[in-house]
Amino acid sequence: MNLPLDNPIVHLLYQLFNTPGLGGLGVGFIVVACLGSIAGGLYWITRGALDDDPATFAYPTPAFHDHRKGSEPSRK
Amino acid sequence: MLQVDPQDKARLIDPLFKSGPRFWLAVLALGAIVGWGGAMYVRQMLLGLSVTGMNRPDYWGIYIVNFIFMIGISMAGTLIAAALYLTGVNWRRPITRIAEATTVFGLMIAGLQVIIDMGRPDRMLSMLIYGRAQSPLLWDVASLTMYLLISMFALYVSLMPDLGIVRDNLPDRVSGWRRSLYTVLALGWRGNREQWRRLERVILIVSILIIPIGVSLHTVTSWILSTTLQPGWHSTILGPYFVVGAIFSGLALLFIVVTILREVSDLKFYLETRLYRRLGWLFITMSIVWFYFTYTEHLTVFAGQEAAEFPVLASKLWGADAPAFWGMVILMVLAAYLLIFPLLLPERWARARLFRPRFALATAAAAGLVLILARAPQAQAVVAGPTTPNLPTALLSTGVVLVVVVGVSALALLKRHIVAGYIIASAAVLVAMWLERWNMIIPTVTHPRLIPWATYTPSLTEWSLTAASAALFMLMLLVFFKLFPPVSLWEVAEGRVIDEALAKVEIPLPPQSGQARSVR
Repeated sequence: MNLPLDNPIVHLLYQLFNTPGLGGLGVGFIVVACLGSIAGGLYWITRGALDDDPATFAYPTPAFHDHRKGSEPSRK
Repeated sequence: MLQVDPQDKARLIDPLFKSGPRFWLAVLALGAIVGWGGAMYVRQMLLGLSVTGMNRPDYWGIYIVNFIFMIGISMAGTLIAAALYLTGVNWRRPITRIAEATTVFGLMIAGLQVIIDMGRPDRMLSMLIYGRAQSPLLWDVASLTMYLLISMFALYVSLMPDLGIVRDNLPDRVSGWRRSLYTVLALGWRGNREQWRRLERVILIVSILIIPIGVSLHTVTSWILSTTLQPGWHSTILGPYFVVGAIFSGLALLFIVVTILREVSDLKFYLETRLYRRLGWLFITMSIVWFYFTYTEHLTVFAGQEAAEFPVLASKLWGADAPAFWGMVILMVLAAYLLIFPLLLPERWARARLFRPRFALATAAAAGLVLILARAPQAQAVVAGPTTPNLPTALLSTGVVLVVVVGVSALALLKRHIVAGYIIASAAVLVAMWLERWNMIIPTVTHPRLIPWATYTPSLTEWSLTAASAALFMLMLLVFFKLFPPVSLWEVAEGRVIDEALAKVEIPLPPQSGQARSVR
């Protein structure tokens, strides 16, 4: 009889899904990926402060999006 | 140095550094409940799970009910904030921080429930060491961790500019640790154009990611139940039903937290009643959808009449779980009534005698009296027959009619006091949703397939830990909003500028189509 588990790909997937510890490894990978992305995001934002633009703003406005770096915010 | 509007400073920054007796009293009361819960947990650790009401075959009790409930109420916060951000809704600004904070702390309490339920917390590690990828429990751990981390990130990123503002606008007399706290957490925030561009890009990406992750968390939690063959659980509807219930209960919690902050921290300037009206439409929609899903879930079991499934339904309808089921239904009907019917009452009708508060109060008193009389012991008829007058039934019917009249006459009052109506409805929804989670778990674990049935009554330990979890959740929110502005300073300031600019724009009328045709 041709059982699905005779197929090496199905067999491999079966092993992957049923081996104890591999699931935990998957969770660990997700956690590390999340923490890495968060650290990267925070680093990227904080590095933005090093930009040589002297003007600082307490809040943004949609006018920011229409302007190139260094120019004054739009009045429109 | 980042400038802040003096009114915003007075309303949102200065109160962070003033703690009155009310605050310390609340901390003390909540801390005492948490302490009591801690003592009960230690007792549970020492004596084992035998101190709970759980036994064979009901291995899950109110800890898991609390877990699903807390996951639900925490789902809506960040999800709603993200959805409103992506759709560019301007009135979202004052509530985003509150929504995000409720999500983060709710998820923490949800995770805590699993650890409490395990009896031995060290066994949590076994899940990772021996966990297999086919287990929905593991998927839930992955989903919960991911959602918690991203929600914390969303909260922190939107807090960064405010931390910079608070750091630059501290009152003269402030303790050193508070000064260091804002300086360290602000991560050198300057607020230059490039930094704002990057921050907005990150918020956009997080807002996009958080919606599918939030939906996945609740559907994966439902798979813990629906991937088993247990009666009442093996159903495809549980995924969307969980999501609907989560958004509904999350909105209810949001209304309650917003109202408490509005009244206690005097934030009426920011948290206006228009927020209630606008979020209220979503709340009403979710209420209707929830009723539809509840009906569908029970209809399929009722229509199937399957031998193992039907006892679960029977337990809910007229068995041991009937009080929880009908309590849930009554509370949800009450919430729907409070949310929908005041809107339907025409303004000119509200002046009629029927809608006066005094009439409502008098009818409520009469209804109470009649219902008490209906419960009083009655003389039994010697011979019962079809003509024997049935006084209790007559009194009960009169009482029900009077309760309906009270509801109708209170409509004008509810229409005038929209916040009060929403708070009563939200409290009813929260209790009903907790009962719904009970109805989802307990009837099935007490009526399993192939194993003799059992009953489940939570013990004092379980109730204590439930109360302590709720108190810990409130305590965390209380401390968080004492340390950080509950309303986002920068978002509100940006919204104000946008509103002012929009107010100056004059939108022309459309061309009159009829006139245009006649000219031709």
